[in-house]
Amino acid sequence: MSQSLRPYLTAVRYSLQAALNLTNFSSQVVERHNRPEVEVTNTSAELLLQPMHISRNEHEQVLIEPSVNSVRVSIKVKQADEIEQILVHKFTRFLEQRAESFYVLRRVPIEGFSISFLITNKHTETMKTEKLVDFIIEFMEEVDKEISEMKLFLNARARFVAEAYLGEFVY
Amino acid sequence: MEDWRRIDIDAFDPDSGRLTKEDLKPPYPVAVGQAEIDSKISQLRSAATSGDFSTALTLVTSDPPYSADQAIKERYFAAVLSVLTQVRQAEISTLVKQLSSSQTDVLIKYLYKGMSCPEGQKQGGTLLSWFEKVTQHLGVAPVVRYLSDRNTV
Repeated sequence: MSQSLRPYLTAVRYSLQAALNLTNFSSQVVERHNRPEVEVTNTSAELLLQPMHISRNEHEQVLIEPSVNSVRVSIKVKQADEIEQILVHKFTRFLEQRAESFYVLRRVPIEGFSISFLITNKHTETMKTEKLVDFIIEFMEEVDKEISEMKLFLNARARFVAEAYLGEFVY
Repeated sequence: MEDWRRIDIDAFDPDSGRLTKEDLKPPYPVAVGQAEIDSKISQLRSAATSGDFSTALTLVTSDPPYSADQAIKERYFAAVLSVLTQVRQAEISTLVKQLSSSQTDVLIKYLYKGMSCPEGQKQGGTLLSWFEKVTQHLGVAPVVRYLSDRNTV
């Protein structure tokens, strides 16, 4: 692991550990509703905690928004050029369309980020919190690798196609 | 006519028990004005230029301007950020160990604030190594206290 990636992931791990301390909490506004407080427009400020912004540089950031019964984790994946932007968009969209099989994935990322997770008290009750944290960290590690691999593959393929196509015109 | 069913009548009721962000802020006795901040910034600068980062860090973390308005906080924060980024990587660990637990809480606030603004994001690596040293020393506790503290720097 590179030298600057490790502190980044440690910071995210500690912040998530602190934030993933959720309890079952019914809505104070709507009777018999139990909704993730971080997602609804909130009239009571005591339910939201301080948001945590962790950034390695301008392109790689994590925003963790904790509340009493839910945590929203948004990740901005590194996008150095236009190809990476397209790849990240396609990749995250692929995952988001299958969000129900990932349980904690949010269908739409929040503004300015590539992908968002929403972890509620239901998830921490049925799954191990440590494993949830591990999952997010592993996702962050893997997604960078995946994107750069795809980019290499795409470039190789583009070169091959261009050679095959333009070979026709060489006399 | 406006849809009267959608009017939030509880908002007009003073006894509704709703809390805003300002209600949650605990009272902070030290009022900070423009003059105090200017003198603090110049103290910080002189400590940093003479290489006395231990004093500078104590100054930063001892009484942060919680009660100041946003513009003053921003100005002070710029000075704090420059101090934090001037410290050499090797010194961070020893400096963090000198701080008391309440001072570390303030430091964590500055680190998170730094990482959320564009000037600090350019120095992300340095701030993250500060963060790493703090968590190595004290674990998750300062982060938990950051979460529930309503005073912002």
